Amino acid sequence: MAVRAQFENSSDIGVFAKLTNSYCLTALASSSNFYSVFEAELQDVIPVIHTTIAGTRIVGRLTAGNRHGLLVPSTTTDQELQHLRNALPEEVAIQRIEERLSALGNVIACNDYVALVHPDIDRETEEIIADTLKVEVFRQTVASNVLVGSYCALSNQGGLVHPKTSRSEQDELSSLLQVPLVAGTVNRGSDVIGAGLVVNDWCAFTGIDTTATEISVIEATFKLQGQTQSAVINEMRDSLIDNYA
Amino acid sequence: MATALGGFKAIAPVPSASDFIDIALSSTQRKLPTVIHKNFKISRIRNFYMRKVKFCANTIDERIGKILTEFPILENLHPFLMHFLNILYDKEHWKIALGQLNKARHLVDQVAKDYLRLLKFADSLYRAKQLKRAALGRMATILKGQKNALEFLEQVRQHLNRLPAIDPNTRTLIICGFPNVGKSSFMNKVTRADVETAPYPFTTKALHVGHTDYKYLRWQIIDTPGILDHDIKDMNVIEMQSITALAHLRAACLYFMDLSEQCGYTIEAQCKLFQSIQPLFRDKPVVVVFNKIDIARYEDLTPENKAFVDEIILQPGIQTVSSSTITEEGVMGVRDAACDALLAHRVEQKMRGSRIDAVANKLHVAVPKQRDMKDRPAFIPAKALEKKKYDKTDPERIRLERDDEQDMSGLGIFTQDMKKNYILDNDDWKYDVMPEFLDGKNVADFFSADIADQLTKLEAEEEKLDGEGFYESGDDEEHNSEEEEIADAAKQIELQKAQLKLKSQAKHINRAIIPRKAKNVTLKDFTTGMRQIGLDPKHLERRAAVLGEKEKAAYEAYVKRQEAKEAAEGGMEVDAGDVEMDEAEGSSTGARGVSARGPKTNRQLAGMATEAQATKAALLRKFAVREPNRMARASESDRHIPITRPKWMLSGKRKQGTNSRR
Repeated sequence: MAVRAQFENSSDIGVFAKLTNSYCLTALASSSNFYSVFEAELQDVIPVIHTTIAGTRIVGRLTAGNRHGLLVPSTTTDQELQHLRNALPEEVAIQRIEERLSALGNVIACNDYVALVHPDIDRETEEIIADTLKVEVFRQTVASNVLVGSYCALSNQGGLVHPKTSRSEQDELSSLLQVPLVAGTVNRGSDVIGAGLVVNDWCAFTGIDTTATEISVIEATFKLQGQTQSAVINEMRDSLIDNYA
Repeated sequence: MATALGGFKAIAPVPSASDFIDIALSSTQRKLPTVIHKNFKISRIRNFYMRKVKFCANTIDERIGKILTEFPILENLHPFLMHFLNILYDKEHWKIALGQLNKARHLVDQVAKDYLRLLKFADSLYRAKQLKRAALGRMATILKGQKNALEFLEQVRQHLNRLPAIDPNTRTLIICGFPNVGKSSFMNKVTRADVETAPYPFTTKALHVGHTDYKYLRWQIIDTPGILDHDIKDMNVIEMQSITALAHLRAACLYFMDLSEQCGYTIEAQCKLFQSIQPLFRDKPVVVVFNKIDIARYEDLTPENKAFVDEIILQPGIQTVSSSTITEEGVMGVRDAACDALLAHRVEQKMRGSRIDAVANKLHVAVPKQRDMKDRPAFIPAKALEKKKYDKTDPERIRLERDDEQDMSGLGIFTQDMKKNYILDNDDWKYDVMPEFLDGKNVADFFSADIADQLTKLEAEEEKLDGEGFYESGDDEEHNSEEEEIADAAKQIELQKAQLKLKSQAKHINRAIIPRKAKNVTLKDFTTGMRQIGLDPKHLERRAAVLGEKEKAAYEAYVKRQEAKEAAEGGMEVDAGDVEMDEAEGSSTGARGVSARGPKTNRQLAGMATEAQATKAALLRKFAVREPNRMARASESDRHIPITRPKWMLSGKRKQGTNSRR
């Protein structure tokens, strides 16, 4: 199911949270509302962890991770690293990366098997990503944007990419990622998918501005609530045409 | 949302004619100066009254202009809105009212212009005042003439504010049919509009708007008043509203029929009406709804009635649905059928348009081509599937951090416990305090127990490799020489840069530039320079020698004279004039020369025959200035009277002991 949420009046929840199949990170806020939205869906399934990264709240943009591991930028403090180690399950590896492009969430988009990375990322970083997250790594762009992490959201079941991604590019990316892809928007027409949406294999959280049509596309794309991607071209096609065109 | 009719809500109230006059006159009174006196300069009096006339005219002009811009021009609106407003308020009437106001505005301007011209020639306060009165009076009369127009516009404004916000471009369903067939009841069932329903005809007298959600989209439903089957010329305003909506909105039309004839109209009449308004349904999806099926169904009809109904429902492109708003049977079916028909219609139209290409990529699911035999299954924990959906109202719901926070609300002491969910071998360790630094070392650097051993091992290995010459390959040397070359080049570049910098700095000296002419150049420097560039300076040298001789002779003569004078001096004073003369002569022969405009003679001595006369004159001068100096006067014409009681010193509270004098 897809749940709408907001972080202190901002609907860019992907900036303040990171969701994978084995853990969820949320930023420290002045109230518990944001944390509890995740807690309500994920409690007792995977750990939901309050954290800061390098003292900031933009944890979703600074970290990258999947079921196997978590990558944090070099600015992460020793105490934060200790906290994350204590809170994460043992089988999740944590690695601090010395990388010039330190907003790892923006430059890495990954699921449990494949990762797309910024074309300018270090060769060493690429190796660390492959080892820690146990993924195949591809240097790619999404709709000619180098910030692949900002402009797409991936799970093992599907992916939502920038609304201007052409059909051929979608097909190419999909063959690399080996998941079905759909181009779409979040937060009432925003193209920064990574900022408006966090998703794993069984649930998704979107910004509060997301429309009903966008939610239905998200649910179909990520196979939530028994939907499949074919809904986008079958049942929902007419609604989408009427809405977009 | 409601862009169309919602926009009218910005119209400000239109004042009545008498209010308008009051507003204009009182603001003229309030915002301009009011005190004038007949003894003032006539130009000032004229200006005073001209300003009043001008201001009053401007106020009226502005207010009328505001009304004119706020009321929309009907021709610029969507055809539906234009016709709708035409029916409600009559387009001609609307136009005439606005036109009259516009004319009044010009008249007021004209009056102001005329009277300003007259005021220029007013020769007394009284005349000027009479002219102003006449001007304002005429403006008020013009406004009084706009009474009807203003009243009409105010009524229109009040009515416009109450109109429903109909968006003519969105997905719309229009409900139409005879009075009393259950249109409003249906509307109340599918939307939250809460339209009044009653068992008599023409309960609904205006258009009503409601909204419903279907297929992830929002649908606008318009409930129209009932229509009777007669010529369009005979229709009243209520019926015409329905006709306008049907004619100008690109929407799905739901034609409601009452097969039980409870509404008071026969099935034949209802079918006739359908046929007479059918031209309005062209190019639109039409759904014929048999309402009140709890009383009569299509199957129960008599053969002749069935024939009438068949005549319309068997036409191509017309759907039929049955429903009962009382039992709610088929109500949602009606909505779904109409929405589906409209959606299909709109999609078909949009597919023909050009914008569809822009969204084509969003209607595409990229299915991956298999690139290897690896299986990449989704990873969903069993717990996630078992988990009960969180329900806020469930009393046995799981406890969230938000609940903890709310329990402590108002106390301001809640902080998130970040350690409560730590996954550690022993839960007692969760809240253990750990130092960040110990013995001057960062504890985090020693996260592994055998980190020291590992480090020594690594160092030993490194040393060994170094000793074996692992790092000194021939390849490396080449690399080094190359690097050195680069470093060398870099050094040279740096050096050159520094030199260039110095050179350019030398150009910029931080002092005034002395012109070449003014520079002190010795003869030797000058001649050497000339020789260097290949010129012969001999004639210069010769002339310099001659000049030098001359100067020398003059000096010697001067010295001799001085000596002679000194010798002749007994007890006599030096004659000031002579000395000055001498000095002047002497300096004129100097290299640089004194200004030619200096006084040639001492004018204080002019007209004095003897030394004694001059001394006396000086004495008299001294006496003459003594008295003015004593009185601090510049001369005898200075009659300045200084302030004897300065205000700053004497005003204010000066009770005993309350001030300290400056």
